[in-house]
Amino acid sequence: MRKGLIFVSSIVIMIPFLTACWNQKELTDLAFVMAMGVDKGKEKKFEVSFQIVNPGNVAPGQIGGGQGLPIAVYKSTGDTLTEAARAATKKVSRRLYYAHTNLVIISDDVAKKDLLLLLDAMDRDPEFRTTTELIIAKGKTRAEDLVSALTILDKLPVNKITKEIQSTEKMLGENMSINIDDFITNLISKGREPILNGYKVVGKIDKVNQAVNLKKTTTDAYLAADGLAVFKDGKLRGWINNNNARGVLWILNKVEGTGINLTWKDMKNAISIALIRSKTKVSAQFKGGKPMINVKIENEGWVSEVNTAIDLTNPKEIEKIESILMEETKKQILTSVKKAQKLKVDIFGFGEKIHLENPKRWKMLQKNWDEEFSKLQVNVEVESYIRREGIRTKPFWSEFSK
Amino acid sequence: MLILSKILKTKRKKRQDDNIRQKLDPNLPKDLPILRSSQDNIVRLKEELGKSSDVVIREFKGSNYQGALVFIDGLVDNKVIMDFLLEPLIDTKPLPERVDIFQYLKEHAVAAGSISTIENWNQIYDNLFSGNTVIFIDGYNKAISAETKGWEKRSISNPTTQLSIRGPQDAFTETLRTNTALIRRRIKSPNLWIETMKIGKVSQTDTAILYIKGIANEKIVEEVRKRLNRINIDELLESGYIEQLIEDQSWTTFPTTYHTERPDVVVSQLVEGRVAIVVDGSPFVITAPAIFIQFFQAPDDYYSRFDISTGIRLLRIIAFLIALIGPSTYIAATTFHQEMIPTTLVIAIAAQRENVPFPAFVEALIMEVTFEILREAGLRLPRTVGQAVSIVGALVIGQAAVQAGIVSPIMVIVVSITAIANFSTPVFAMAIAARLLRFVLMGLATILGFYGMMLGLMFMSIHLCSIRSFGVPYMMPLAPFNIRNQQDVFVRFPIWQFTNRPPFISKGNIARIGQNQKPGPPDPHDDRSKGEKS
Repeated sequence: MRKGLIFVSSIVIMIPFLTACWNQKELTDLAFVMAMGVDKGKEKKFEVSFQIVNPGNVAPGQIGGGQGLPIAVYKSTGDTLTEAARAATKKVSRRLYYAHTNLVIISDDVAKKDLLLLLDAMDRDPEFRTTTELIIAKGKTRAEDLVSALTILDKLPVNKITKEIQSTEKMLGENMSINIDDFITNLISKGREPILNGYKVVGKIDKVNQAVNLKKTTTDAYLAADGLAVFKDGKLRGWINNNNARGVLWILNKVEGTGINLTWKDMKNAISIALIRSKTKVSAQFKGGKPMINVKIENEGWVSEVNTAIDLTNPKEIEKIESILMEETKKQILTSVKKAQKLKVDIFGFGEKIHLENPKRWKMLQKNWDEEFSKLQVNVEVESYIRREGIRTKPFWSEFSK
Repeated sequence: MLILSKILKTKRKKRQDDNIRQKLDPNLPKDLPILRSSQDNIVRLKEELGKSSDVVIREFKGSNYQGALVFIDGLVDNKVIMDFLLEPLIDTKPLPERVDIFQYLKEHAVAAGSISTIENWNQIYDNLFSGNTVIFIDGYNKAISAETKGWEKRSISNPTTQLSIRGPQDAFTETLRTNTALIRRRIKSPNLWIETMKIGKVSQTDTAILYIKGIANEKIVEEVRKRLNRINIDELLESGYIEQLIEDQSWTTFPTTYHTERPDVVVSQLVEGRVAIVVDGSPFVITAPAIFIQFFQAPDDYYSRFDISTGIRLLRIIAFLIALIGPSTYIAATTFHQEMIPTTLVIAIAAQRENVPFPAFVEALIMEVTFEILREAGLRLPRTVGQAVSIVGALVIGQAAVQAGIVSPIMVIVVSITAIANFSTPVFAMAIAARLLRFVLMGLATILGFYGMMLGLMFMSIHLCSIRSFGVPYMMPLAPFNIRNQQDVFVRFPIWQFTNRPPFISKGNIARIGQNQKPGPPDPHDDRSKGEKS
């Protein structure tokens, strides 16, 4: 008994000294990769840039903190993502840590050809989150430019992009948050094609990564969202610009709040409506053997601006405004649909709806869906409600123009 | 003559031998009779007490009798002895003829409240050391014992270890009788039974078992009696001695008996069917059986309304968990699971740790040990230097330590919250268990991260479920779970829903409150209230 006790307790006492501390990694040995950019490489297939945070310069109130730049960017090349990531360790003193990576930026030319070769690495790695935002660097802007950009308001540039996308989704409805997981889900779905947000540097690209850029109130270069990238078979097919992006999000039921300008008695932009709620229902239907899509939207809003003399106390006027809002919404949505039909890419997931409606017919349609989609009849039905008029009923215009 | 002196000598020698034996083994029973001659008794007493200076022997002579009066200075009230014992005894009025002098004196001369006749030698000591005065009368082989207790004692004061905002503010003292009186005053029922025994071979400390006949489980009372009788130690200075000798399980950090210095707490536990053990010389009363959740129930819980006390009790349990796993969570999250910390926070922590030379475990250990040292020092140090320690302490665990680059600011926060959380457990014995296990969990978190912590917590839960207090499972009524006994666990139900005494403690007699105890506005259909109105 006594011997056994000594034996067991000596083993227990030895445990802390004999273990190699499984998977232990001290914070100070980690390099937090906040964003990762993938460009086309010259010798190897990819050129990957890692945005690594310099904690001392980001955290507030630190001893000697806040002086230098918040981030450092390291680049490496490789034919695969893993190769590039491992090659990067030659340049970084710490272990690259991906669990806090919030953003992956793919350049335009990589997206056109090799995007699919990147996805599995990000999906498979246990450290890497599939909730990471995925965006496309549009046009001349390289992914590296976006990764190495410095931003004024947000100390961490990566926050600027991810937060911006989220707030635009809520307030404007022209961009929506799309992460790697969403992208892959849409990619493998037969009746739906993925989209991604486009981003670009506005202004002098070569200044975007310099601290000088932060010393001005109007920066020489800044990052801005620009359109939606449309994919077909995992390759970048085309872009939907900002004007049409809202229509797309509307059909995807992603619009929450936005502002719409309406024309009143030939006066353009006479009324502004701020939407506070919007709900979209998409259903498929077969008519005469032909598929048809019905989009039904209900939106609610309040009059945020009136630049002409309208008597808002009159319910009939409000009804009129409502019907104008309906028409406007319908118009915007149909334009977006047309745009997508032109690209022959079903980004709305209409195929999925038809599949649900009639799986047998869908099997036949599926083979030639792109063509079918481009000719698909889409009916849009909108119901709009004006709920409030702000804290003013009659605008000053009604007195002023008398 | 020679023979007589020889006999006397051998007798004396034998007596001395007895004395020596007594000194070697204090527990040796000496069933000697009291001698007829008070002179001989005095000689024997002096021998056996080693001429102790506090033993006062006063010989007296009455009209036709003589004797001696023995008491221990300091344990008795001198005034009582002078006025009510000595004065009547040395009265020189002749006694009526043909009376039994012993009986007469006992009835007429000794004017003490409680008197008794002693017939053998052992009882003399019992009486002397409890503050009674022993009177020998020449010619009788028995003695009178008169109660003259009157030693210096501390008066009842406020509780110092278990404070409450609302509720009685008296606490037990070091005197057994005062303590039982405090309880008796609150339970005016003949069913409150007090059994007294002496424990400690040398110290012969009075110990009382209190229970309410009819509510307390007879089996548990018998078990307590058995365990107390088994105790055979030299001295009993505090109820803590007893606690360690009657526990079911010694190998545990968790307390399996409850102790308190508040009479109201003892009363509430007696009424629930528990047994209380009061030890003379200790202001802490033990109650048993104890269950885990009991250590999170503060007296305030029952004195304020149920919604408030439920919230506060939940807070206390959360604080216990923080005290238990605070530092280990920090270690596990910063060295294994950085992905679990929000990005901004992990960067802030990383920035703080940038200048710290130690791994997180060492950092945490330094701070925790420093704090424990401070706390221990604060407890022991003389009151006059208290200020100095708190100033130095604030420097060691604070900005200075951070600026010196030994620890990071976040660690200071973790240590502080742990420390404060630890103090919110109402019973110190439970708080200290968390304090100890915290270090074990810290070690496990260093080796295996959250996985290790979970292993540790699982072992802890299994252990908690395995221990018992006087046969009652420690985790009652959580494990084994009983839905009907949850009135006083995490949620403190309204008093009018406390329908039962905990059946796992008081078997049988468990109905606690009457029907329709729920208060409400006056009933308009009630005849009486109608009548009063008109």
